[in-house]
Amino acid sequence: MEAAFYIAGIVAIVSTVLTISRLNAVHALLYLIVSLLAVAVAFYAMGAPLVAALEVIVYAGAIMVLFVFVVMMLNLGKRAAIAEGQWMQGSIWVGPVLLSAVLIAEVVYLILRARLPEIAVGVIDPKQVGLALYGPYLIGVELASMLLLGALVGACHLGRPVHEKTEARYDRNSDGARAHSGGNLIRAGIGRTPDAP
Amino acid sequence: MRRNLIFILMSIEIMLNGTGVAFVAAGSRWGQPDGQIMFLFILAMAAAEVSVGLALVLRLYHLHNNLDADAANEMRG
Amino acid sequence: MTSPYPIVAIAGILIVALSLAALLIWLERRLLALWQDRYGPNRVGPFGLLQVVADMIKIFAKEDWIPPFADKGVFVIAPAIIMVTVLLSFAVVPFSPGIIVVDLNIALLFFLGMSSLGVYSIVLAGWASDNKYSLLGGLRAAAQMISYEVFMSLSLMGVVLLAGSFSLSAIVEAQKRLWFVVPQFLGFLLFLIAGVAEARRSPFDLPEADSELVAGFHSEYSGMKFGMFFVGEYLGVILISSMITVLFFGGWLGPWLPPVVWFLIKMFAFICFFILLRASLPRLRFDQLMSWGWKVMLPLALLNLIVTGAVVVAWQ
Repeated sequence: MEAAFYIAGIVAIVSTVLTISRLNAVHALLYLIVSLLAVAVAFYAMGAPLVAALEVIVYAGAIMVLFVFVVMMLNLGKRAAIAEGQWMQGSIWVGPVLLSAVLIAEVVYLILRARLPEIAVGVIDPKQVGLALYGPYLIGVELASMLLLGALVGACHLGRPVHEKTEARYDRNSDGARAHSGGNLIRAGIGRTPDAP
Repeated sequence: MRRNLIFILMSIEIMLNGTGVAFVAAGSRWGQPDGQIMFLFILAMAAAEVSVGLALVLRLYHLHNNLDADAANEMRG
Repeated sequence: MTSPYPIVAIAGILIVALSLAALLIWLERRLLALWQDRYGPNRVGPFGLLQVVADMIKIFAKEDWIPPFADKGVFVIAPAIIMVTVLLSFAVVPFSPGIIVVDLNIALLFFLGMSSLGVYSIVLAGWASDNKYSLLGGLRAAAQMISYEVFMSLSLMGVVLLAGSFSLSAIVEAQKRLWFVVPQFLGFLLFLIAGVAEARRSPFDLPEADSELVAGFHSEYSGMKFGMFFVGEYLGVILISSMITVLFFGGWLGPWLPPVVWFLIKMFAFICFFILLRASLPRLRFDQLMSWGWKVMLPLALLNLIVTGAVVVAWQ
């Protein structure tokens, strides 16, 4: 179990680093899924089987599918990867990376010096979690359900068919007709094009 | 710099997952189920956040035809 | 409960599952032909049984072509994902006492997790092919799987409530007095429908609807990569049939015959039922599929869960 935990941890860290450095969104998502699966294995090794299963079912199996679904629906293709490469340039990230490398080195040093505690004290089975969840944490469950309801309503509202009036306004903005109306909204509509007024 | 909204949402997921790992590890260190319960709440929160966030991304993409986070700055506050 | 020789169990289950899947290809063609009043493959070997072997030789000998416009890495990984996830799910299926690879205490959740990971195979295949029909197939698969998984897990929670465990062998043991199909008939129906959708079988085979999308997500696949999707689909049918057997029809329980035989008989009956479904039902339209899932099945699954919970609480 110890070895499984450490291997899963290393896999998770490496795949997360690869996630945030990919240019292609689908490749990044693939590495993120691997990272989540590795975290699930680590959970199982830590003696939390319920959470490990839920990590796979909900995180890797539902939330990430949503991401993949949206990326596929946008169908960005090669153009987006090139744009991403242009945005990724610049030396802004060098400073943070160096500083966090120092921090990581410190953490590794501290971990290696310290006496390692045992990874899994004991397995906490689903029954225990369920009893605690619907006992002292009942109010949290209610709040989470209200949050999810709010998200449901919000997503339905955002996903409804675009109102014709707003669509017409933005259509007008995006083709050359912006000269005679001016103002902030128009500039924002096209965003970062250099020829905005 | 990451300006792509999809990547920004993915990075939020990574951070939420990181806090989840911390909670579960702390819970299993003390042999208590509380850490796992916090992770369940994080899970619910992440699901809510992603559903609204991705709906927003789709909407913004239809408006601006790109995923640049800076393109959505028309609400100047 | 776990088998004393895990390696033997793993090898045995792998060989049996894979050869059953191959045999199913023949069986489905013969049964479909029977129900549609024609002959089906009957030339190669006795009853056309060697047709499968001939097909295998053909599929292995085909050129393994990767389209130049495809995303190579993802294109190659995609068919492997479905085989890995389905075969991993077989690890927790209790065929009989002693014939089980690992008796996890979260076996049911493991099965749900693996079936939700199986979606990636289809979705990524559709994306990597870089072809609009494949992409549409992949999109449909993603939407269908997300929708049907929700009530698939919810419909199983009634069984979990009655058995008081996520462990599949404990669930089978809990059915000694009465099969769960009786108290959980609604749950059984819901799981059956969700199972057909998860296995992407007709009438839910929209991701590969061949009359509108060429071949859906696997349009660009050929040779053994296509073979893996093909065998993966049949493995999925076997898996869903065995899960129905375990969860609702008492798994290996039954009089006189040895447990494994009982299990195989029940599983086989459901496989035939799946094929009969394909022979008799037309394909759904996509919007019908989605609204059916969210507006009918999900509320029914919630109702089933609430009523079961109330009855269990009242009983105690």
